[in-house]
Amino acid sequence: MQGLDKLATAWAIFQGLLLEAIPFLLLGVVIAGVARWLVPQGAWINRLPRNPVLAPITGALMGFALPACECGNVPVARRLLASGAPLGTGFGFLFAAPVLNPIVLASTWAAFPDQPWLLVARPMGASLLAILLSLLLAQLPESQLLESALLSERRLSQPLRRLDLLQRGSGLIGAPLPDISAQRPKRPRLGDVLDQSSREFLDLLALLVLGCVIAAMVQTWLPRSWLLAVGGAPTGSILALMLLAVVVSVCSSVDAFLALGFAAQVTPGALLAFLLLGPVVDLKLAGLFTVLMRPRAIAITAAAASLGVLLIGQWVNLWQL
Amino acid sequence: MAAVTGSGGMSRGLLLVLWGWMVLWSVLSGRLDLLLRGVFHSLVGMSGAALLVAGLVLLFHHRSGSGVIPWPWMVSAALCCLVLLIPPNPSFSDLASNRPQGLPEPAELAFVLPPEQRSLTEWVRLLRSQPDPQLVDGNPVNISGFVWRQPEGPPLIARLTVRCCLADATPSGLVVAWPADAYPKANQWLAIKGRMTVGKRNGESTAVVEPSAIKPIPRPKRPLEP
Repeated sequence: MQGLDKLATAWAIFQGLLLEAIPFLLLGVVIAGVARWLVPQGAWINRLPRNPVLAPITGALMGFALPACECGNVPVARRLLASGAPLGTGFGFLFAAPVLNPIVLASTWAAFPDQPWLLVARPMGASLLAILLSLLLAQLPESQLLESALLSERRLSQPLRRLDLLQRGSGLIGAPLPDISAQRPKRPRLGDVLDQSSREFLDLLALLVLGCVIAAMVQTWLPRSWLLAVGGAPTGSILALMLLAVVVSVCSSVDAFLALGFAAQVTPGALLAFLLLGPVVDLKLAGLFTVLMRPRAIAITAAAASLGVLLIGQWVNLWQL
Repeated sequence: MAAVTGSGGMSRGLLLVLWGWMVLWSVLSGRLDLLLRGVFHSLVGMSGAALLVAGLVLLFHHRSGSGVIPWPWMVSAALCCLVLLIPPNPSFSDLASNRPQGLPEPAELAFVLPPEQRSLTEWVRLLRSQPDPQLVDGNPVNISGFVWRQPEGPPLIARLTVRCCLADATPSGLVVAWPADAYPKANQWLAIKGRMTVGKRNGESTAVVEPSAIKPIPRPKRPLEP
């Protein structure tokens, strides 16, 4: 009976997570589709800064144009990378935009009006983390970093002066061709955009379903009190809240309200760690990231983000405690 | 419209219609009241309608060529069908036992309301902001909630609050001096009338609801509180 109750609870949590995430995923796919239609392979992509620090900051700031959570950002980041945007911009957007957007900042302020430091520390920490992760991932060759279908799309969108024909995977073998990137690209038909967007949505939805199943099961069978038991210890509390952020998998637009529920029981560094790690690494996102990166790159992202957040949390505890 | 390549436009159209219908049905059937906070309902409804329209457009333009459906789409579509067939029926008591208690601190409203109009959540907020139970001793109580059987200790009367969805549900409960012949069943919804008294729990003074009438009630249409 107890087992059946737990199964019924996990089923309901799964439905809650899924139904809450679908609108944001759809919004992300729609924005990616509209961007593809309005600015196909636009010249603006070539104007984005390629500097290792400026590129992720530019990507992070693009979050203000997409007030969605992390699920919606995945298809947009994929579109950016497939269109040939600098890696730093794509990853900066992916990792920081779920925090640097008006809805998330407003909800953080609404949840913690008496803690203004959090309203500053959260976007700053997210930007720092995005720069750190982008710099780290840029050390990997693209072939080891990006998922193979994305890599092919990205290579096709690169000008011939940057890649040879074999790397590009299509075209004529022979003398170098003139750079055709300056030519005005053709706008795709709306029908083609709908075709591609529907495929993208169903691909991402399948991965989202998988993530929600895992998150619901872990939430049901892992008592949350175990995670919060070490709330008072400076390092223990940070680690516990990081694990909670990974398990709970709620959207960045509402995670501040969830954090409010246990803010009094944990250290300030742990609170910030919860708000920083969730938008970058959680069980629901694990599947979605596979449309962007190879497993090794995902593992590096998860490990580096966790370490970065732990250090930021420790520093905040030293400063606040 | 372009010719369909790979997985057919018709199959994709059907899948989008299925997903759109599931999402829309969750809103129309009232299931969402059990799963998500009210502010998100219209957003979910709009996304369901958008999926339905997109699916119908694809179906209209691709009346032939169903193509091969990738297996991850099939698996997720099967789960979508299960969601349509099996409505959510969580054990609130189980969910509450798995979470620490915690509520935001507004509380001022609870002082303004006459005691008999305070909901269970408002009582908990009030007692958290003003922990001295003597201040509410003798106040009339008129609350409803589900029976929360904790792993240790006597059952409480409780409610779940959500900020987003069931995944972040947080319990808030009140101690009840159950009559000797009462054996409250986990998850049973009850309406309790009585008065607030002061009792001892783990050696500390605690506000305890002393019921004069306990009535089983059906689960409310919107059981989650903001």
